Amino acid sequence: MTTLAIYSNKGGVGKTAAAVNLSYLAAQTGAKTLICDLDPQSSATYYFRVKPKLKSGAKGFIKGGKQVYKSVKGTDYENLDLLPADFSLRNLDVTFDRMRRSKKRLRRILRPFREEYDLIILDCPVTISVLAENILNAVDYALVPLIPTTLSVRTYRQLLSFCKKKNHDVSKIYTFFSMVDRHKKMHLELMVRAAREFNGVLKSLVPYLAQIEKMGIYRAPVAVYAPGSLAAKSYQNLWSKVQKKILPGGYNGKKSKNTL
Amino acid sequence: MINNQKFNLPDGHDEKQFIRELADKYATANEPAVVERFTIYDTFDWRLFNRSFVLYASANRLFLRKLDNTDIIHSARISSPPVFIQDFPAGALKKQLAPILKMRALLRLVEVQARSTPYRILNPDEKTVARLVFEKFWPLRHKRRPALTAHLWLRPVKGYNKYARNLVKHFQAAGLSESKQEDIFFKALELVNIKPGSYSARVNIQLEPDMRADKATKIILRFLLHVMRINAAHIEKDLDTEFLHDFRVAIRRTRSALGQIKNVFAARTTDRFKKNFASIGKLSNELRDLDVYLLNEDHYKALLPPVLREEIDPLFDYLRKKRSKALQKVIRGLKAKRNVKILQDWEVFLNKAPQDSATAHSAAFPVIDLACKRIHKKYSNIVKAGHLILKKTEDERLHALRIECKKLRYLMEFFASLFPRKKNDLLIAQLKKLQDNLGDFNDLSIQKETLLNISTQMPATLQQTPKTLLAIGSLIGTLEKERQIVKNAFAKTFTNFASPENQALFRQLFVSRAK
Repeated sequence: MTTLAIYSNKGGVGKTAAAVNLSYLAAQTGAKTLICDLDPQSSATYYFRVKPKLKSGAKGFIKGGKQVYKSVKGTDYENLDLLPADFSLRNLDVTFDRMRRSKKRLRRILRPFREEYDLIILDCPVTISVLAENILNAVDYALVPLIPTTLSVRTYRQLLSFCKKKNHDVSKIYTFFSMVDRHKKMHLELMVRAAREFNGVLKSLVPYLAQIEKMGIYRAPVAVYAPGSLAAKSYQNLWSKVQKKILPGGYNGKKSKNTL
Repeated sequence: MINNQKFNLPDGHDEKQFIRELADKYATANEPAVVERFTIYDTFDWRLFNRSFVLYASANRLFLRKLDNTDIIHSARISSPPVFIQDFPAGALKKQLAPILKMRALLRLVEVQARSTPYRILNPDEKTVARLVFEKFWPLRHKRRPALTAHLWLRPVKGYNKYARNLVKHFQAAGLSESKQEDIFFKALELVNIKPGSYSARVNIQLEPDMRADKATKIILRFLLHVMRINAAHIEKDLDTEFLHDFRVAIRRTRSALGQIKNVFAARTTDRFKKNFASIGKLSNELRDLDVYLLNEDHYKALLPPVLREEIDPLFDYLRKKRSKALQKVIRGLKAKRNVKILQDWEVFLNKAPQDSATAHSAAFPVIDLACKRIHKKYSNIVKAGHLILKKTEDERLHALRIECKKLRYLMEFFASLFPRKKNDLLIAQLKKLQDNLGDFNDLSIQKETLLNISTQMPATLQQTPKTLLAIGSLIGTLEKERQIVKNAFAKTFTNFASPENQALFRQLFVSRAK
């Protein structure tokens, strides 16, 4: 089992779009996949047409165990389940902070899923507090979407120095370029510079595309409503890079077809 | 979470009408139908079926499951239809099946085609909350035949159990019952008139203790003739080495029965067929020896030091060429008029009803008396001979003892149905341990000898390759070492076999009745 957080300390960088599309593509390879929507805005949950509701709310979530397990919903796609968001998750930060072993709570909550799933993808809210540390402690890898702008790159630097200060393993953090506008000279230049400056930059970029924004209309992963489109291809490319880099073993996915 | 549920669809069921009715209550979406083909495999002697396995291929994957269970145990990608275990890609599937299939070829038993039409049940958010799959199976190449089965799968979506529960109610109201059908494996085979488990080379006959000995012996011999005929028909196709092997064993058993079950037929008849079957058996001696060599190729290579492993390849290439010639010889021989006539005459003789007046001394004895007498005599002889060998272990004596053990084994198998099964099986298992030791010793002796002979028979070009000769020499040395180890193990194996407990058990089973 592998856990992967799609995380950023900056908003509006394409986290949820990446989490939804990557989890869909992973499930298509036959891997039993769970996407956890930790963002109280519940966008990922919305994309999968599921009601943003956890059994017993944030309380049940923090307690972990059966309640969380029961909240999982099957999506429209084979091998892909969703742990929906809940508005009450907005106070997760504060709640964790007040608890003992406050930085390892999330890891504990996810433990019961390790048996059942090959891959768990976390769609994370914007945070750089105790929740961020919970996430980093809970996952094997974190993938940070990076818009090639000055501010975005600066925030990424902040994240890396935060991790170093808090003694988190920086080598498990990967990044890819998101919402890239190929017409902007600055985007192109910054990508070259960033690739030089940071380790763990995946050679894959997701352009800024209307097709991706339409996920809100179709409420589905891009590959479902626009297969073969540039948007679908760029996520496919990103997935293959992710798979190669951080999940090199692949899966022995048992597809439910071909049964006699 | 509710599990997948399967419902029977009655004959002439209208799928479209069913969905139309469902659409009054639920929003539905359909998906394109999928057509898949499945090929079911097993060996000629049902090695997989006998262990409740079902092996099938679909698209370019192989799947293994248990009978009456649709869960896949292992699957593996294949690029061509599998025949031997060597063709399987490395992995869990190969590991599990290797000790079961061994040298036997997989045969295609039947091909079926499945058409599945999936539907999704949607909630007001157009979210899928349950899946339905209509599934129909046909035998391939039997287009006109009716479908094997048709059923409807309900596959609930996690977290939406209420929908699944309501759908079950709906199905029940529509008259569908939950399916508890037997495995489609059986239905598919039935269509092509194949009975799973129908062939086994093991002697499987039922005798009555009071039966006349000549009648009982004919039942045994008819069974052996049946095994001969079935396998002879396949030798020509050369699918694997075991058709010939089973054929030869049936001949050997026949000869043994003729020699060991004494005085049940006229002496002239017995003598004639003993000679006839000896000559048919001899036909394939060379081919079988070559088969054994080639089956052991990997084993032999492993015995060689790594530097010489490839050097032995010319020998095996030579043996392979020799084998294909030997095979042609056997095929020609089996078709030869003389040999065809032997089997025909034999069949006529076996099917002739026994005459009222006995033609031989023991013909009218109750079979159980004869069986006890023969088995016990053989056993006593073996124990005596074995003790002599313990005093002085000579190769010739070991060889003779091996033959005697084989005869005893055959007798015990022929007459197994007359004795308590558990005890008889136990004694056979004890005997088998001794036979394994003697068999290994014999194999190693023969292999060593043959290698020596082959190296002089090989074409001159090969003989001039010093490294190949070196490899053969090294192999002979290793085989000789192994042979000595096996020889030294005889004393202990025999002492176990002739233990007081085993002797008592033999007496208990076979002596009391013989008197």
